[in-house]
Amino acid sequence: MNECIENTGFRPRIAAFFCNWCTYGGADLAGVNRLQYPADFRVVRLPCTGRMNPEFVLHAFRQGADGVWVSGCHPGDCHYIAGNMYARRRFTMLRELLEYAGLDPGRLHFSWISSAEAEKFQRTAKDVIEAVRALGPVDAATAATKTMVMELRKVI
Amino acid sequence: MKARTEKIREIAKRLLHEGKVDVVIGYARGTSPMREQPFFARTPEQADQLTWSSFCVGNTAKSLVQVARAGERAGVVAQGCASRNVVGLIVEKQVQRDKVVVIGVPCLGMVDFRKVEAQVARSEGRRVETVEEDGEELVVRGRGFEKRLKRKELLRDNCFTCQHRNPVLADELAAEPTAETGGGDIDKVAAPWEKFPAADRWARFRETFQDCIRCYACRDACPLCYCKTCFVDDARPQWLGKTQDMTDITSFHLMRAFHCAGRCTDCGACESACPQGLKMRRLTSKIEKDIRELYGYSAGMDVQAVPPMASFRPDDSDDFIKQGGEQ
Amino acid sequence: MITAYKILGKNAFEGFFGSLAQGREVYAPAQKSGKIVWAPMHSAADVDWRLDNTDMSPKEFFFPQSECLMRFKNAEGEGGRVMVPVAPLATQRVLLNIRPCDAKAFRLLDRIFVQDDMTNDPYWRDKREKTILIGQGCVNPCPECFCTSVGCGPFHEDGLDILLTDLGDRLLVKPISGKGLAMVKDLPEAAPGDIDLAGKIMAASEAAVKTYPGFEPKKLAGRTVLDIYDLPLWSSLYETCLNCGTCTFVCPTCHCFDIQDEVRGEAGRRVRNWDSCMQKLFTEHASGHNPRGEKRDRVRQRFMHKFTYIPMRRDGELGCVGCGRCVRFCPTNIDVREVVRRMGEDVEAKSK
Repeated sequence: MNECIENTGFRPRIAAFFCNWCTYGGADLAGVNRLQYPADFRVVRLPCTGRMNPEFVLHAFRQGADGVWVSGCHPGDCHYIAGNMYARRRFTMLRELLEYAGLDPGRLHFSWISSAEAEKFQRTAKDVIEAVRALGPVDAATAATKTMVMELRKVI
Repeated sequence: MKARTEKIREIAKRLLHEGKVDVVIGYARGTSPMREQPFFARTPEQADQLTWSSFCVGNTAKSLVQVARAGERAGVVAQGCASRNVVGLIVEKQVQRDKVVVIGVPCLGMVDFRKVEAQVARSEGRRVETVEEDGEELVVRGRGFEKRLKRKELLRDNCFTCQHRNPVLADELAAEPTAETGGGDIDKVAAPWEKFPAADRWARFRETFQDCIRCYACRDACPLCYCKTCFVDDARPQWLGKTQDMTDITSFHLMRAFHCAGRCTDCGACESACPQGLKMRRLTSKIEKDIRELYGYSAGMDVQAVPPMASFRPDDSDDFIKQGGEQ
Repeated sequence: MITAYKILGKNAFEGFFGSLAQGREVYAPAQKSGKIVWAPMHSAADVDWRLDNTDMSPKEFFFPQSECLMRFKNAEGEGGRVMVPVAPLATQRVLLNIRPCDAKAFRLLDRIFVQDDMTNDPYWRDKREKTILIGQGCVNPCPECFCTSVGCGPFHEDGLDILLTDLGDRLLVKPISGKGLAMVKDLPEAAPGDIDLAGKIMAASEAAVKTYPGFEPKKLAGRTVLDIYDLPLWSSLYETCLNCGTCTFVCPTCHCFDIQDEVRGEAGRRVRNWDSCMQKLFTEHASGHNPRGEKRDRVRQRFMHKFTYIPMRRDGELGCVGCGRCVRFCPTNIDVREVVRRMGEDVEAKSK
């Protein structure tokens, strides 16, 4: 049932930030439709992707996330008219900056999924989880070189 | 430099005398070598202390916010970069255009004191005691040595690649306009880690920022940083740890750089303020470059501009956004 | 007691270094990309005698910028609440070529971290007890130095175990503490000529410091808090201050800290971090009230702490050793020498 567990036993922890008006509903519909996907992300519901502070992404990595997934409404569909359009520029800049500083692109994902797109939600969830899972666990103990996500993680 | 100093004083005195401004924000002679200090002249007599040299490395626009908040009308001595920050502050509605008089100074680039020290060999225990400007040369003296150094080789990195040495907004000019660029090619040096494979970039980041002591001088010297509560000072919730862990240092610098998106004028105040000589422009230049390439915007060029991070276009590129394996 | 000066040829330094490094970590100033930093010395050849003082003070050795004080766990049932103290410093250390100003700063901090039975910081004390300070007299003072204005000097001995004077090809060695004496007892006695030469170097260096701007702290002696608190200079001095923490972080005597518990789930650690009176958050109460809410208050605090509060509590001893780092690194060139001069002038004018 869960190919992640079957493959390596590593189940990534992914912080997912979903817009209340679209992707969150899409996830709900996927559930109602009994569409299956690995349950490796923890959802944080946002009123809009426009609320997405880039600090949330760093905070998720600091708290131990292996990956971050942000999903909102298709351009033009924002409940607040244009929140996602502003967010898009912010995501573009953030993603550029983090990759420039050394973040593995497979750890940060963005998508537009409406509340009617249950199947797209299922496919994207599988994609995101597989991309993060493929990178393997963040293992500070055995790593020869330090990676960005490893050092973003707060060790206490 | 001397002519600029004279002219700045003359303008400042006139503005103060005529009551057009309550204060002129400029620079006064510093107390130690290669240091000038920001200075607030409130009377025509005090205006005699204003000065201009190769070491005016702060950014006078920084002080403008504080003066504007106090309700004062200010004259600001500003070279190209600082004038762009004044424009930025007007765009961001921190300063009203009619409450500020820009005393523009066409700039010849500022000198990085660390480069001077490297040339006189601080490593051999030589300490610079006085620096005299002589045209395109600096005469540097200390105990038992005197050296003539070429100004051009000592410029700060950002001054070398400066694109706007002449003030973009000026009500008065303290000198004839000068060559517009510093001569260096910004595109060759911006975002220096891009040329490294992704896996190596973190090592560069680490190397650049690991000596950070979290004094926040970079933030506090930055004319963009005027928030009444900075994200690093937020206590409820506390976004940022207070330790010297790489995570806390990293998060601070990434977020600080991010907050400069579409606003940074590459004035170099952050690097000049850093007691550890960190090169934070390696990060901010990437953002500045992206904003230029993606949204065709340079900060602080037009008081009517709409900042790129506060606007959008329907056709902004979003090819990084997952299509979810559309079938 | 007549001090037994010793002499150590630089060609014989390797042997001496070997004895220092026996069971100890040796640190000394070194170059690193244009900066002068404290670095571990692996051999005598690593020691660079020409360098001036380090950019950052060595207080980091005893009072790290971030220091874990303990770890804790709140387990259910057996074990219950567990607190794990951190291990004491595992090795002895030597700070070689430390400047007299920085060594004096530690004497001052000793009186703050270790006062009596109630105020007795084990983290500070542990590292202090395990560290030997071998000073180098400052023959090349920096233009920002003002040690002679604050009761210190380029060859001040307070706090050092040994003081070295660089005589070119050899070092004059002056043991100061018992620990220091034990380390150099096998070195040959210095010739009177060398002692004279060192005296001349010392006098020249002191004279050099005095050519730089200084101040007269006596004007502030015996003044009360209220004498100084309302001086006119405070109403303008703060204007150019950025309220960054640079002056406090590079300062060898600044010692304020913030203790944070970093907790995840049932476990966590307690960390002590440098903090700075320059920053607004430093005094902010949980209620949101801030007794030093204005920049002016914070700037005044830093100078009054060093030149009023500490002398009041410490028999007149100033909270400053004159190393000049804050002058050198202040992004807006707020010069403590100028500030104290103006404090003196203002307070004299006020009392007339």
